Amino acid sequence: MRTGVFIVQASEEGQEGINLHAVELYAANLPLVEKVRNLGMRPRLDPVTLAEEIKADRLERVVIAGDSPGFFKPVFTRAMALAGGDTDEVRLASFREHGATGMGTPRAESIVACAVYGVPFPLAARPGTTATVPGTLIIGGGVAGIQAALEIADAGKPVYLVERQPTIGGHMAMFDKTFPTLDCAACILTPKMVAVGQHEMIDLMTYSEVEDISGSPGHYRVRVRKRARHVDIEACVACNTCTEVCPRSTSSEFDSGIANRKAIYIPFPQAVPNAYVLDEASCLYFESGGEKCGVCAKKCPKECIDLSEKDQTVEFEVGNIVIATGYDVYDATKIERYGYGKLPNVITALEFERMTNASGPTGGKIVTKVLRHNKRKKIDEWVLDPEGPPPGRVAIIHCVGSRDAQHNPYCSRVCCMYSLKFAHLVREKLPDATCYEFYIDMRAFGKGYEEFAERIAAEGTFVVRGRTARIVEENGQMVLKGEDIINDRMVDTPVDLVILAVGLVPARGSDKLAAMLGIARDEDGWFSELDYNSDPTDTERGGVFVAGACQAPKDIPDTVAQASAVAAGVLKSVNTGRGLDSRADLSLSEIEARARSLARV
Amino acid sequence: MRRPSMAIRVNPKLIDELELYGAEDVQNCYHCGNCSAVCPFSKEPYIFPRRPMRYLQMGLEDKLKGSLEPWLCYYCGQCSEECPRGAEPGETMMSLRRWLTSKYDFSGISRLFYKSGKIELLAVIGGALLTALAFVLWAVLRGGNIHSYSGENAFLPAASIHIFDWALAGVLLALLLTNCVRMWWFTMGRDKRLKVPFWLYLKGLYLLPLHFLTQKRYAKCEHKRPWAIHLALMLSYLIMLVLIMFFLGVMWSGPEIDWRVHVFGYLATVGLLGTTIFALRGRLKKSEPHYAHSHETDWIFLVLLIFVAFTGILQHILHRVGFDAAANVTYIVHLMGVVPMLGLEVPFSKWSHLAYRPLAMYFSAVRAEAMEREEKKALEPAMAAQSAA
Repeated sequence: MRTGVFIVQASEEGQEGINLHAVELYAANLPLVEKVRNLGMRPRLDPVTLAEEIKADRLERVVIAGDSPGFFKPVFTRAMALAGGDTDEVRLASFREHGATGMGTPRAESIVACAVYGVPFPLAARPGTTATVPGTLIIGGGVAGIQAALEIADAGKPVYLVERQPTIGGHMAMFDKTFPTLDCAACILTPKMVAVGQHEMIDLMTYSEVEDISGSPGHYRVRVRKRARHVDIEACVACNTCTEVCPRSTSSEFDSGIANRKAIYIPFPQAVPNAYVLDEASCLYFESGGEKCGVCAKKCPKECIDLSEKDQTVEFEVGNIVIATGYDVYDATKIERYGYGKLPNVITALEFERMTNASGPTGGKIVTKVLRHNKRKKIDEWVLDPEGPPPGRVAIIHCVGSRDAQHNPYCSRVCCMYSLKFAHLVREKLPDATCYEFYIDMRAFGKGYEEFAERIAAEGTFVVRGRTARIVEENGQMVLKGEDIINDRMVDTPVDLVILAVGLVPARGSDKLAAMLGIARDEDGWFSELDYNSDPTDTERGGVFVAGACQAPKDIPDTVAQASAVAAGVLKSVNTGRGLDSRADLSLSEIEARARSLARV
Repeated sequence: MRRPSMAIRVNPKLIDELELYGAEDVQNCYHCGNCSAVCPFSKEPYIFPRRPMRYLQMGLEDKLKGSLEPWLCYYCGQCSEECPRGAEPGETMMSLRRWLTSKYDFSGISRLFYKSGKIELLAVIGGALLTALAFVLWAVLRGGNIHSYSGENAFLPAASIHIFDWALAGVLLALLLTNCVRMWWFTMGRDKRLKVPFWLYLKGLYLLPLHFLTQKRYAKCEHKRPWAIHLALMLSYLIMLVLIMFFLGVMWSGPEIDWRVHVFGYLATVGLLGTTIFALRGRLKKSEPHYAHSHETDWIFLVLLIFVAFTGILQHILHRVGFDAAANVTYIVHLMGVVPMLGLEVPFSKWSHLAYRPLAMYFSAVRAEAMEREEKKALEPAMAAQSAA
């Protein structure tokens, strides 16, 4: 079969670490290949000219090498049809889809070889199996980690769940409501959290981090560092005495900084484990080198505070590893035009979640910050007072840090929907408030999402198409500057509260974890799955799975579904005692030989 | 009131065509409106650059041809800097100005130049050679003395050159005016829904010299330097033009320098050289947003300008220090630059914006007022009914 290979580049990042010239030479030396042509970066292709080329070279198969799915294939398919060829023989050798980004030139070459032979890459590059021990390590105790842990543990298999924070729950525990059903997030999550805490098959390690992973698929040796909590989890009854006497306070991570916590604290009342934790960084005792304070240990009625506790490391062996590290939100201070950090009443989505949450610092009241005099610091500062004035006009700005070539090029997937949810919450709690949504494209793609979007607009929220360009302060009044694209006019919108729908970025430390495990991340930093369509939970490394938002931005239903799918993959290997080996270890010649035999060339 | 529906013919190749004029990334635009919102000039009813970007993507050639918006943009580049898609709205507006210039031009020469820098270059070189040939032949045939710069038997007598200047100016003005009339027809005259009473045109007429001389709209950009540079260049050029058109004889005479006239000449020369060097450096280093993309025509324009300014002052110096023969040769070289520069740039290329920009300010103001009147008129019956009730 006469084959033509056309190398195209859809993005600069997509070709990093790949020597395209080497790929070109390699492809030219494959049997069947009649011609190889490098079309360069994002070429403007004309189907008619391409069809002439296909005809002139009498090509029966066309391989598009390097393309991201959906970029150039339509043009080539059209050209093939015009040339009178078989459109099924237009084959995509997607570098990005099959992990050549990060795996380098040999991987790119093997992808091209498979396409030239007409064999699906995942089929030719199927790794072998290896003996697997039953234990499973889950990194990250958010809803993905919790779901996967419960599924595996309920099947009677041992799970080690490692969480960096003092409690499990992740971001979902911070939320007030879920979209589009407006269910209470805590009501769904806390029973699962409690189940994890009590499960006999789950070894829960909170306030702990994975330090090192060695070994091979099926036999991973894991070292976990358990940070000193200084509070005995078993003995602590969460009586709050220590917090009451603690003299030090700092901003609360769980309340995304809109409220303070003490140096010894419990992140929230439903935390699992339901025990206090002492944060050394903000503690006076540790700051003074053990000379001052220590009052919490003296006052604790259960005597369960041990100020001399040291970090511990534990080691164990697992067969499978599940990465469920989730996401962080984009740092809104990087977008100066929205004035976050300077304008007091410009807040991020997570801050609003905590504000509108009935268990949050304002008791669920939506208020604007007020200027108060701080007597101790002798300055005027903006504070969040539950009795503060409610905003009359609220604006929600979509795509903050997302879909922007200067920030994150990708869509963060959840922001449109949570923004609509915010509009509902604002209008529910403040029926007289005017609420605006400023969006670029409304991405309401899930079950019941479009209906939810329509409902919010029908409820009286002004849904305006047009990205806000700036937030300026004019005579003490915040004004949003933008274009209303549907009505074709410029709009200046005075508002009292602005919520920035910040996008999602990979969790802090993802790079370290990827290096430790030897798995690839895509150009945006998310962990790469083995195959976009057919193996969305496996990775290049055997026995390493990805669940939830650490693979790509995801909402709660998708995260839970993926976590359950991961559990199925883990259980398959644990039950049979054999799991997949690493695809990363397959050599180019192995893949090529396999593709050749499958294609019977 | 229902307007009769009008089918609009789209030109799907328009985006590709604009690529030849410099706009490369128009299809990246996803219409978030950021550019229009950051633009200090984007005010109703002239919202841009997003709207023209939309017209381009949809291939609405006629709508674009009737747009004044590209001329209201001064390319401060803020839109491009903040564009989340890298769609380069600023450069698109610049390309649209080039495209519009070629549309206003009836002869099609402008289109040819913009589409191929080579053709423009050839025309410049051809024009230069012809000019040299014509002047040398004329000087030799009438027995001019190469060693004599001024006076009766000068190689190129000032009086004759003066007549030539006025003739050239007349031809260029006629060409440019024709294009201006076409611009009026596309943007104002053709629009049947627009009813502009004559007195509105008269009322706004002061805008033409005002914008021409002060470019005060340009000064509204956040960064003032581009405006200052542009104004300095324009004023220098204008001074030079006045000197050449009205005081050529004074500049020619000698040997003593008549400072009342010459001080202006030196000032203008410094202005021309300084600003063109600044612009060339900027374009080479891509130091500012509006220098980041350079079309072939931009380079030809700047190189011609600096060439002309340099040879102009050089022949003057040579004459003053007594090298009349060298001065005569340099003068011929100077004319080899001046004639093609004016003859090609003013009616057909970049320089035509000296007419189009002030005209656009004028037309846009007249148009906006006419539209407002129409709107008020349309609302009148409803208002009357309301007050009656």
